Amino acid sequence: MEIKPKLTRRNFMKLAAAMGATAFLTTYKSEIVEAVEQSKDYWHINWLNGAACTGCTVSFAQASEPDLVQILTEITVGNSGLPIALPDYMETIHPASGKLAEKLKDERWVNGTPGKRVLIVEGAVQQEGFCTIAGKDFRDHLKEAAEVADAIIAVGQCATYGGIPAAKPNPTGAMGVSDFLKEVGINKPVINIPLCPVHPDHLVLTIAAVMIGAMPDLDNYGRPKAFFGKNMHDEICPYRPYYDRGVFTRRPGEEGCRYVMGCKGPITWTDCALRKWNMHTSYCVETNMCLGCSEPGWPDKFSPFYKPVASLPAVLGVDFGTLGQGLLGAAAAGIVIHGVKRAVTSGKKEEKEE
Amino acid sequence: MATVKMDPVTRIEGHLGVTMETKDITTSTGTWTVVDKAYSHTNLFRGWEIILKGRDPRDAFFLTQRICGVCPAPHGETAIQALDHAYGMTPPPAAILARNILHGAYYVYDHMIHTYLLIGPELGVLAKYPPMVPPALGKDGIKALGLGSSYAACIQMQRKANKVVALWGGKFPHHTSEYPSGMTVKPTLDRIANTISNMTELWDFVVNVMVPDFMAIVSKNDHIAETVSTLLDIDFNGLQDLGPTYGNFLSYGLFPDYNDYDKWVAVQDGEEGYRDNALIKAGAWDGDFKKFTHTKIKEYVKYSRYDDSITGRHPSQGDVKVVKDKPGAYGWMKAPRYEDKVYEVGPLARMINTYGLNWKIDVTNPVTGESFTFKWKVLNPKGSVVDRVAARVAQTVLFATKTMEWAVELKQFMHDDIVNAKIPDYSYVPDNAEGMGLWDAPRGALLHYTKIRNKKIDHYQCIVPSTWNLGPRDDMGQPGPVEKALEGTWLPKLDVPTVANALYPEKDIDASAFGLGTVSWGDALAAALTPLGLAQLNMEEGGYNTSLAITVVRSFDPCIACGVHFIIK
Repeated sequence: MEIKPKLTRRNFMKLAAAMGATAFLTTYKSEIVEAVEQSKDYWHINWLNGAACTGCTVSFAQASEPDLVQILTEITVGNSGLPIALPDYMETIHPASGKLAEKLKDERWVNGTPGKRVLIVEGAVQQEGFCTIAGKDFRDHLKEAAEVADAIIAVGQCATYGGIPAAKPNPTGAMGVSDFLKEVGINKPVINIPLCPVHPDHLVLTIAAVMIGAMPDLDNYGRPKAFFGKNMHDEICPYRPYYDRGVFTRRPGEEGCRYVMGCKGPITWTDCALRKWNMHTSYCVETNMCLGCSEPGWPDKFSPFYKPVASLPAVLGVDFGTLGQGLLGAAAAGIVIHGVKRAVTSGKKEEKEE
Repeated sequence: MATVKMDPVTRIEGHLGVTMETKDITTSTGTWTVVDKAYSHTNLFRGWEIILKGRDPRDAFFLTQRICGVCPAPHGETAIQALDHAYGMTPPPAAILARNILHGAYYVYDHMIHTYLLIGPELGVLAKYPPMVPPALGKDGIKALGLGSSYAACIQMQRKANKVVALWGGKFPHHTSEYPSGMTVKPTLDRIANTISNMTELWDFVVNVMVPDFMAIVSKNDHIAETVSTLLDIDFNGLQDLGPTYGNFLSYGLFPDYNDYDKWVAVQDGEEGYRDNALIKAGAWDGDFKKFTHTKIKEYVKYSRYDDSITGRHPSQGDVKVVKDKPGAYGWMKAPRYEDKVYEVGPLARMINTYGLNWKIDVTNPVTGESFTFKWKVLNPKGSVVDRVAARVAQTVLFATKTMEWAVELKQFMHDDIVNAKIPDYSYVPDNAEGMGLWDAPRGALLHYTKIRNKKIDHYQCIVPSTWNLGPRDDMGQPGPVEKALEGTWLPKLDVPTVANALYPEKDIDASAFGLGTVSWGDALAAALTPLGLAQLNMEEGGYNTSLAITVVRSFDPCIACGVHFIIK
């Protein structure tokens, strides 16, 4: 018989409390799944799509360990046989449509067990009249759902920060979920899980964390620090040695650091380079470069994509406060620190930043 | 006459509502309700084109993928083809093969997802075929009844297809690796080997699970036809009578050959052609093979929310003047027409323009040496639910095989250039140019037009598959393909389990594992659906069961985000 050390939900919770949410989210993936399995209550999930491309739903379907099949068929609640995460509402995959779909949202979601209702939002929120579902504006759907939600998770660049719909000139007045909720006076925390699309691991782990009552630590932009605390360029890029040696890709096919061609790694905080995508296969920099889609202000602050991140003097000449999000400033600081380090360690060797 | 609404239409991409006006037909067995007229309402607008204006032309490759997260790869590809054309440079063989591999694997994912997750559940119910019904009873239901076994297997397998996309594109959805006249990803032995091994598993699934599943559905077709004909006292031939359009099919072609790439480019230039060395050919079938030229495309707006002054224009002249409350308008989509006629686009259009009405696809797995033949005779030359599904299955077989063959072939170009030699470096962008991208997305013919002025996007226009298929009536009053396809569809005043019991009255399902004893198909479905709150599945106001109607809509694999992305406020 296979010996499998089991972490009970109770012990797991103790451990999570002792270590902090950040540490366990990255370390205890399989244990989280087990803890969720032992959860006694049916969790209600309402997945709303606003001004979305459905890419986050498709990305969610790429989840592994656990994958979507396990989530839907194996992670059942107690002995009820009911899948823990069969959403009460989810346009893209739910069996129900039309009247029944809307009715289920009212019966199952609105009247669901208080304390057990997770709202997941994909897509930006626009001004009135650009997105209607069953004859009702998406804004009203979202407002009503948010009012009863016990946890709100915004997935992908659009729902978190507005994404491309909110890019210049923002023709439909699009914004992220947290901005919208503020606007309509709903004062509830939103867990932002950006990237374009959302990374399935990030989402599955966050849902699990919510279910076991361990709220992840969030940064200033509402992102779980566990996933968005590392600088792509400074801390985790495998191509970093090229940068240090001044070897840059200047034409497709050349090996080298992607900084000169426009890689946004220096101003991007995400764990893509470690976690990778599609069953740990690859990520953007392996086949081209980082676009910066984990950050507020994307795509405008990162476009044109094929243009290097602003050179040091230019960035340093700007008052960080006026940058609004402050991210570019932080990145610049990162580059400065790195530059100083290199100057010290490389002694006489002179290198110029691009 | 009643009005029946389906809103939201789920298990598609995006926000779609359909309104159906009904009529009653009386036969010897009773009075039955069918769809008289249908109206497709597309309910989301984001304004992509205006967001693109003024940006680096190459940004369009990244940004237009985000038009749709279900079919991002084809948008990226079409944007890149438009840029190839604008740059006036063709990609080298290594890049063409790498593109084909990425998109071949992508297609396998997309057609599988549609066949199992989106349209499959209703087909599984109609054909009393548990593997294609969702796993509503969890893993125990899969074990005891096979309920959802293929549905669940599909979720596992489609990830492997996307693993191949990620090998060549960094990630999926939204890959990063294409560049005007080339690629940014290098062919390596590791990528090639990984591609072939994953595709071998997929090939096995497609040939040994997906094709037999489809044939299992088809094997019940005569029974369904007989039962429905008797019940309604009508002449119903089966699933081929569901969802016919006009018999006109449009395809732009797919998967070019690096030999004689000029044939591919000629069609971008506006010449008439078949792109006949591509794997899937271009064409405008109207009962026979016809050459395609993009110059015959126009968009009409009489029933769309735009000013009538811009109606009837070619995409390069396309304009948008929104009239939000225009009287008589009922959708955000325009109505694209080819030679002023309604054309269906999509998998069936690709197959008919390439193979006609009789398909025989011989494939050999280059790794295992196994051979397989997929044969299909189109059951309804005007198109139908079953023919559209057959086309997806056929293409999944074909593309899974070709993806492996391309990977083997790419080995000989591994050390070659991956962009056109004329590209000096990443800083180069032409000053002024225009380009036409013509590709086929899983949902059908996809066009991107870009105009570059002073190295920036001056004008961008897309005409996407779902605009062709789900657009409203045109200025001549012709209903769009989906609107046409719904006409005559039966709306039973019976719920799903009752219909299932009428089709399959025998009690032969051992549901003892669920405390039910031996039950009929409808009773088993009721037992699975009720605890999930789904007893009234597909029942709309007035007690109409829309299962067949929504299956007709889903057979087009609608993608509304695609269709309504380009409107300027």
